[in-house]
Amino acid sequence: MKVIEITDVYKIYNSSEIKVNAVNGVSLDFEEAEFAAIVGPSGSGKTTLLNLLGGLDLPTSGKILIDGTDLSLLKSSQLIDFRMRNIGFVFQAYNLIPVLTARENIEFIMNLQKMSKASREERSFELLKAVGLDDRAGSRPSKLSGGQQQRIAVARALASKPRFVLADEPTANLDSKSASTLLEIMEKLNHEEKITFIFSTHDPRVVKMAHRIITLEDGKVVSDVRTE
Amino acid sequence: MIPEIAWKNVWRNKSRSLIVITAVTIGVFAGVFTIAVMNSSVVQRIDAAVNEELSHIQVNNKEFRSSSDIKSLIPAYDKVVAEMMKAPGMQDLTGRIIIRGIASTAGRSTGVEINGINAAKEKQIFTLHEKLIPGTGDFLDTETKYNKAFIGEKLARELNIIRYSITEESLKKLKDEKLPGEISTKLIALKGERFTSDKKFSRAVEAVLLPGEYRKYIYLIKEAAWSYRPGSKIILSFIDINNNQTEAAFRVSGIFRTNNDMFEAMSVFVPEEELRQLTGIPENSYHRVIGRLKDNSLSEAASAYLKKELPGYEVMQWKEIQPDLAMLADMMQQIYGIFMGIILAALSFGIVNTMLMSVLERTREIGMLSAIGMNRNRIFSMIMLESVFLSLTGGLSGMLVSGIVIAATSKNGINLVQYSEGLEAFGYSAYLFPTIDAPFFIMTTILIVFTGILSSVYPARKALKLNPIEALRKE
Repeated sequence: MKVIEITDVYKIYNSSEIKVNAVNGVSLDFEEAEFAAIVGPSGSGKTTLLNLLGGLDLPTSGKILIDGTDLSLLKSSQLIDFRMRNIGFVFQAYNLIPVLTARENIEFIMNLQKMSKASREERSFELLKAVGLDDRAGSRPSKLSGGQQQRIAVARALASKPRFVLADEPTANLDSKSASTLLEIMEKLNHEEKITFIFSTHDPRVVKMAHRIITLEDGKVVSDVRTE
Repeated sequence: MIPEIAWKNVWRNKSRSLIVITAVTIGVFAGVFTIAVMNSSVVQRIDAAVNEELSHIQVNNKEFRSSSDIKSLIPAYDKVVAEMMKAPGMQDLTGRIIIRGIASTAGRSTGVEINGINAAKEKQIFTLHEKLIPGTGDFLDTETKYNKAFIGEKLARELNIIRYSITEESLKKLKDEKLPGEISTKLIALKGERFTSDKKFSRAVEAVLLPGEYRKYIYLIKEAAWSYRPGSKIILSFIDINNNQTEAAFRVSGIFRTNNDMFEAMSVFVPEEELRQLTGIPENSYHRVIGRLKDNSLSEAASAYLKKELPGYEVMQWKEIQPDLAMLADMMQQIYGIFMGIILAALSFGIVNTMLMSVLERTREIGMLSAIGMNRNRIFSMIMLESVFLSLTGGLSGMLVSGIVIAATSKNGINLVQYSEGLEAFGYSAYLFPTIDAPFFIMTTILIVFTGILSSVYPARKALKLNPIEALRKE
């Protein structure tokens, strides 16, 4: 079942009379429960493509359908709501809310979705256990290591059971041990929760674990290889 | 969740928030306490006017106030009394004979309003008897063979009934009142002299003290040097009911002191029956009937009722008799609002600055919140609540400090005796007992919340303008 359909998408930036084709005619599909990595050199358009998939930016031309919904037809407020309900984000710099505890960070989106307290607590406990941090539920981000923060960020991204998770260089700031732990957890959750994971990465460890590797160069897909 | 995050965000940078909260606390305290002091002077003036001079409701013969004619008596007095007792909230009432005349002593005379009263009844309506200066006699209570009059301190001074002298006793009193020793030493030069008027004594004291010392201590010195011979005689002259010039000697039965110099200088109270005999006004005839209500707030209703039921009479509530006071009371509410508004407007710049710094520091975080699905309204609410919490914390602590200081100062009052002559000339007390009512605190709280909301608009707009992608790229 197709979760994402990208058809002939272009993203062109016009800055100081220089036209930059950040995404240059990309067409891709993502199935449910895929574990895909988008790779390529710096400036190849990985982050731009991820932003387009997350509805943070709109394509100059082409179509992006998420479960059949064309993102470019949504109003700004509808797009924010759509992101909240369907997309999980994991950022390179973790970006947890510093004044909230690990558990509160996980519950944040469920709170925005007005889920009941009991459901929130059940889900956050389940995720804390899944990422191996159930003993750190009451810790604030400043008391957690980088790896632990990124595991909480993954749990937050999965909290509301989104259709897919976008992770922009999730292991870039982590040491190899933390990165391996994080990847194992993400693969396990991908398998258990049947949620699609799409990474942009330079990290060979991520590439090694991905089930599909999409390579971008100059905004174009130059290879799309399934390893499973 | 949003209020919880907003509250936690306020305490993210503790020192910065505490600086703003302290500024708001000081500003609100300054505003509330100043207003409490201003308010006390107005409240005390109104209380004094109602309790000592006017009471709540007065009914006059229609011609009386404009003509002051002794013959303008209230016709059908019993009917008026019966109607007045039916007015909403009426507690008690009394009649007064009021005539214009001249009070004189050897060499001094002044125009006065002579009030023929029933002393026992007056005590039910007014508190003037409580204003008797201790040691000067009583409130027309003692039976004597002489006519007796209860007069104000200012009139007593005008008529040179009060004497001033620096004696061992007055110097001791001044020492008890903590007058500096060097001032007492200077006053010894005046020992043994007896001054027959306020003016002469003031001049003599001014000559021995430095100008600053004189301004600071003259009130205290006058109080200690003040003396009065009980039973001093004054002559009251007036026109009787047959248009004959009449005069009679009265012994001063007691001297009262209020905060209203004009009232003290103009008012003479004598027993009703003595004045009736001297003027020929028949029994059961009065110029004015004065009513006291259970509560000041009933004045409007009682006045409306009596105006309807007594169409041939002049019915006035205290607000109509002294419209300046009524206007002052109404205007003060607006002045308090404007005053607090100006203080909070000034404070809002500090709050805006702090909020702006806070928002700009969190650019990436706000971008992330927007990316993961926090909509514009929620981001705006979060920043607005942070601003409201910041101002409300400062505002509430400012009001708490004000409440404590008001409670402390309202026990003993604020002593402004240095300015007593000026204040009392306008009927205001030299001792202020700061007071503020609950609605003012409610109004201030609303203003503080409004300030918080207003201060959040600019920083919140800045936050809403952030593009999530650009915000997330910020270091």
